[in-house]
Amino acid sequence: MTAIAKTQLLVAPVITEGQQLPELKIPVTATLIATGAVATRDFQKVHHDKSVAQAAGTPDIFMNILTTNCLVNRYVSEFSGPLGRIKKINIRLGAPNYPGDEMTFTGTVQAVQGERIVLAINGTNSLGPHVTGTVELTFESQEETR
Amino acid sequence: MSVDPSLEINELISASHERVSIARDPVNRPMIHHLCDAMGDANPIYLDPEVARNAGHSDVVAPPAALQVWNMTNPSDPEISSDVDRAYGILEASGYPKVVAVNSEQEYERHLVPGDVLTAYEKVESLKGPKQTGLGEGYFITTLTEYKDQNDQLVGTMRFRTLWYTPAVGQEQDND
Repeated sequence: MTAIAKTQLLVAPVITEGQQLPELKIPVTATLIATGAVATRDFQKVHHDKSVAQAAGTPDIFMNILTTNCLVNRYVSEFSGPLGRIKKINIRLGAPNYPGDEMTFTGTVQAVQGERIVLAINGTNSLGPHVTGTVELTFESQEETR
Repeated sequence: MSVDPSLEINELISASHERVSIARDPVNRPMIHHLCDAMGDANPIYLDPEVARNAGHSDVVAPPAALQVWNMTNPSDPEISSDVDRAYGILEASGYPKVVAVNSEQEYERHLVPGDVLTAYEKVESLKGPKQTGLGEGYFITTLTEYKDQNDQLVGTMRFRTLWYTPAVGQEQDND
């Protein structure tokens, strides 16, 4: 992504009901799973040590839920841009993300109610839906964080 | 064979004891950068204070979905048992030994900025079951975690639902 000129005015995208979000393909690598787990401070070995994961009955290490949530966050904020403010992420978890797979994010603008925008998102891998859910965001730029 | 776990777990729910954990470190830029590097997230409000300020924030902010990160258990921490662990233990002992994560619902009151020190309050919120599911008979249990800042203000909540089940006959296959 190119750096945004610092003096540039940030502009919120025009968002309409029914609009499709651009697709995002995430290569699910052992690196993404292991670094994602540790960056989210989840040291459970099933997310970074293949022999432990296999002893636990899964074919390989698998993505932790915090990484899934953070990837949903990334997908939505790439669509909303820097002015988007995520208020809620509700997800249902499905097929695991194992190394060597690919997860494709798709999404639709489900509702636009004034400042409140609801997106329906879906991340599917070769086994089926890994994550489905809704994300709510706003663009109330005047609100201060503290 | 399974027994009814709801009496014991409903007692825990009405007792409403919370596990309280104070983050070891405040929300900080290096960890936000590290997280964005791992996720491939290049949103400048997480990385560049000037863009963050142009977007109406006081500093860079943490990705909202990282709410849980700051209070994760440190590998060297002693294990402290909580009512959530007790409830999971009751389900296991009642004949529902298999578990899958079902839902995560996070709500954010405001963006987190470097310097915020979070305290997490976690408890068992509800139990539903027994239900017949595709995996077998089981119970859905929901935990509620509230995150408060250094001024005791609520900054976010998380509900986490798991299904504890007895594998249906002929469905021993693991699909965690």
